[in-house]
Amino acid sequence: MKLSSNKNTTKQIEQTDTRAMSGTIDRRNFLKIMGWGGVGTALSGCDLPSTVTLEEGKEEVMSYLMPEEYVIPGVGVWYASVCAQCSAACGTHGRVREGRVLKLEGNPESPINNGNLCMMGQAGVQGHYNPDRIKSPMMREGGKLMPVSWEKAMSTIKEKIAAARGDQVAWFTGALSGHQFALVANYLEALGSKNHYAHETINNSVWQSVCKDTLGEANPRLRLDKAQMVVSFGADFLGTWVSPVHFSGEYVKFRKQARRGLLVQIEPKMSLTGANADLWLPSLPGTEGVIALGIANSLVKNHNKDISQFPSGIQDLINKYDAAAVTKMTGVDEKQLKRIAELLNERSPSLVLAGAPVEGHANGYNAVAAVMLLNQLLGNIGNTIESAGVFPFEQMQGTVAGTSSLFSFTQAAKNNKLAVAFFHGANPKYTAPTALDFDKALNNVPFKVALAQFLDETTMAADVVLPLASYLEDWGTHVAAYQPEQSVIGLQQPLMEKLYADTRGLGDILMDLLKTVNANEYGGFADYYAYLRQAHAAMPMQNSNNGTDQQAWNASLQKGVIKVTSNAEQLTFNAVSFDDPVVASSDAGTSTLYLAPSARLGLWDGRHANLPWLQEAPDQISKLVWDSWAEIHPSTAAKLGIKQGSIVSVKSEHGAVNVKAVLLKSIHPDVIAIPMGQGHEFYGRYAEGRGANPLKILNPTKEEKTGELAMYATRVSVSKTNQSEVVVKMGSSDTQVGRRLVVTMPVEQYQRSEGA
Amino acid sequence: MSLDNLLSNWSQYRKGHEEGGFHDYEHRWGMAIDLDICTGCNACSTACYAENNLAVVGPERFEKGQAMHWLRVERYWDQSELDHPEQGASFLPMMCQQCNAATCEPVCPVAATYHTPDGLNAQIYNRCIGSRYCSNNCPFRVRYFNFYSYYESSWPEPLNMQLNPDITVRDKGVMEKCTYCVQRIRSAKNKAKMEDRKLEDGEFTTACAQACPTNAIVFGDWQDENSQVAKLWKKHEVTRAVTKQNKDNPEKRGYRIFEELNIDPSVMYLERVREKV
Repeated sequence: MKLSSNKNTTKQIEQTDTRAMSGTIDRRNFLKIMGWGGVGTALSGCDLPSTVTLEEGKEEVMSYLMPEEYVIPGVGVWYASVCAQCSAACGTHGRVREGRVLKLEGNPESPINNGNLCMMGQAGVQGHYNPDRIKSPMMREGGKLMPVSWEKAMSTIKEKIAAARGDQVAWFTGALSGHQFALVANYLEALGSKNHYAHETINNSVWQSVCKDTLGEANPRLRLDKAQMVVSFGADFLGTWVSPVHFSGEYVKFRKQARRGLLVQIEPKMSLTGANADLWLPSLPGTEGVIALGIANSLVKNHNKDISQFPSGIQDLINKYDAAAVTKMTGVDEKQLKRIAELLNERSPSLVLAGAPVEGHANGYNAVAAVMLLNQLLGNIGNTIESAGVFPFEQMQGTVAGTSSLFSFTQAAKNNKLAVAFFHGANPKYTAPTALDFDKALNNVPFKVALAQFLDETTMAADVVLPLASYLEDWGTHVAAYQPEQSVIGLQQPLMEKLYADTRGLGDILMDLLKTVNANEYGGFADYYAYLRQAHAAMPMQNSNNGTDQQAWNASLQKGVIKVTSNAEQLTFNAVSFDDPVVASSDAGTSTLYLAPSARLGLWDGRHANLPWLQEAPDQISKLVWDSWAEIHPSTAAKLGIKQGSIVSVKSEHGAVNVKAVLLKSIHPDVIAIPMGQGHEFYGRYAEGRGANPLKILNPTKEEKTGELAMYATRVSVSKTNQSEVVVKMGSSDTQVGRRLVVTMPVEQYQRSEGA
Repeated sequence: MSLDNLLSNWSQYRKGHEEGGFHDYEHRWGMAIDLDICTGCNACSTACYAENNLAVVGPERFEKGQAMHWLRVERYWDQSELDHPEQGASFLPMMCQQCNAATCEPVCPVAATYHTPDGLNAQIYNRCIGSRYCSNNCPFRVRYFNFYSYYESSWPEPLNMQLNPDITVRDKGVMEKCTYCVQRIRSAKNKAKMEDRKLEDGEFTTACAQACPTNAIVFGDWQDENSQVAKLWKKHEVTRAVTKQNKDNPEKRGYRIFEELNIDPSVMYLERVREKV
């Protein structure tokens, strides 16, 4: 990647800066253009760093990819960047040898992952070098996607935009943050549109919503390291919840305290976190909120916790669910419930979490609120749940990405409100349940642009396909929604030359689009790199001890993270009133089982199904590879005449999938779990035509308060077919057969030998 | 050779390491894996694929037991009598244990598997004739045989560009196994030698240990008593060259799998802990 116009870049930095200083563009607007808008910029009020003004010709913008003296054949050099495999924004180091990136490791400078990297992060190179990448722009001609030039593709897009009303333009993305998010927002604003739909199937939107309402912050800091006991209702913080590598590090501190932290996990299907729990309890989907209230009841009745702090409606709910009532409703043993309350009372501070199985019902908000109430009752607020502070650059934070966007987009499209839609980092045609009629809605959008690396389902339905550079070839900044103690912006730099000359980065495409709608403010930047470079120089509140602007930029690139200060505030609990979290039991007829579309660290929501390492990596719990399957309890299987490997038909009101049964005791007997990720119609050779997609048969039920998709609210009937298949899994034995392979020590002994 | 002679030599061979072994070791690479903080997430295994050019074989061959995962994470259920595994699963990252009296070594008809001066079980790929005796004799099942040539099926262009040039891609008919990332060991040793200094603990580590989100895997030179791994072995009262650990405090968590087979593994595991609620 040769930067075409080093001199121009310098000049533009100068020009834009001069304009900002001279007041052609006021400072506030200038910062907004540069993506630094938000509370912090209003507070800082400092002048632009003087280092921005560069004499022409003094600045040598050297690409990291140009052969340098320090590039020695046979010697790997490490560069810092950011992982984009999920939205946790872990820092990475990429090993580059002879111009090729070979291996990714965690970046020790990043307080998010502290030098470690999960399996999905490791497999990032397989997306980059994937044989099924899109290599040139494409346009639909005669119903088929045909290769076209960038000029043709972009001019067509611009014509369509010009012809459409501004508010008919939409962006549909995954969790986007940093300057890419700021630019999408600025672009839409320039057009007069508010249509940014952010979509993530694996999310914690309802939790964020409850936190926002009760604590005033959507993503408070969770201090696992200080908690003596964690009770997690389906929050798979070691696997798929929020920031798994970060929480894995915190989990070690939690376990290695003077008194080993105690973990209780309550969920319908065992997650990776559940597999590590001291006590794992299966729950009937939709009863988690009631279990939480039962624990609250016991804490009030038996351990003198103060109920009077809550509004009377909540008091009534707590009083209603005494242990006996909860046991009757949920099947959780009364003694066990009381014991958990007793332990929570003893082991203070504690931390109580709620994840997808709790959120995923029509009244999921209530259930999560019931869980959050436990934190207040136990005095955890301000203790193990701390203020994360206000991230100074609101404009870069991105919006909450969840599933409500699926509904709102579908609605807008159905009502002919959208003329042009851009898709990036999300594959809604794959993730939307059939009953949502997303496909029909999509057909209603006359012009669809997909910015993609691969021909997935959504991309195949687009009118124009813009081939993206991989995240290992692109520039960017990333701000994780969940920030650790030290808030950071991750700085993503290309680790190698683009594999395909005809691909472009998201930022470059955005700059191109912005130039047509706002040439005055964006016309001066040669490319996204030039923009980011300028943005970095213009960053308010940055440590100015870094010498020249060039040195500061190099330092940021070397570290891969820019540390920023978020001022923590005092968290106060505001008891929101919520209704009974119980799920109304309806007569479901023959649909006796609850469907759990389980998330899996690896294939995630299906976006990594085209990475062969992750396909061949055994699922952590079932140990199956390459396939789809339905986890079912042996007792339920026996009732239905189902054996290991039987092909079963799992049928909801909205469709059926056929998958092989896998008998496991790590699931509630009334639940059948099908992991997400497979069942791709399009997505390259490793993903296509493999297994089934459970999301397709979900009921289009909404969580009432937040509008999120109620993922765990679908009842299914399960019947066996007369077929069966071999279950391909790792390991021949599910038990140790008496061998001393994994030895388990009782905690008392551990406390004697290693505790304090 | 008479049977008597064979047996007496055999027993001498098997006891050799107890008397100090056959080598003056430069290093004795070893590991300590804490099963209480290993979460079973699979990061180590995927990192191993990335570092060591491990072939992806696909479901059909996986089913036949032909997967090439040098490091696999086993999952066991320990409470099969219960309706539900109340204490979760038991995860076990299993890679070559780099036994000091390895059962794989003496059975190789062509001496393709041998012991290095670093105490590693090494496999000389271009000497291997594929008898698979070593794999047959490994109690840990951590040797992997190339039943096919995977170059084209596993790395269609441009996936091949990711291949680590520091090591080979093994071809059909060859046995392969975990090397403790010998390429990393080599380059660190060379660097130290060129800089005329001793190799320092923590200067480099294996791909699995580096990736591990909980730092459950600790790798290092067991012979360097200041290394983290040596300290952990000492703390947990595990020592080499015995078939049964004789601990002052039998409550310490360290143990070696199958050490009773007199194979002297180089990996110490730390027991998983559970609290009964």
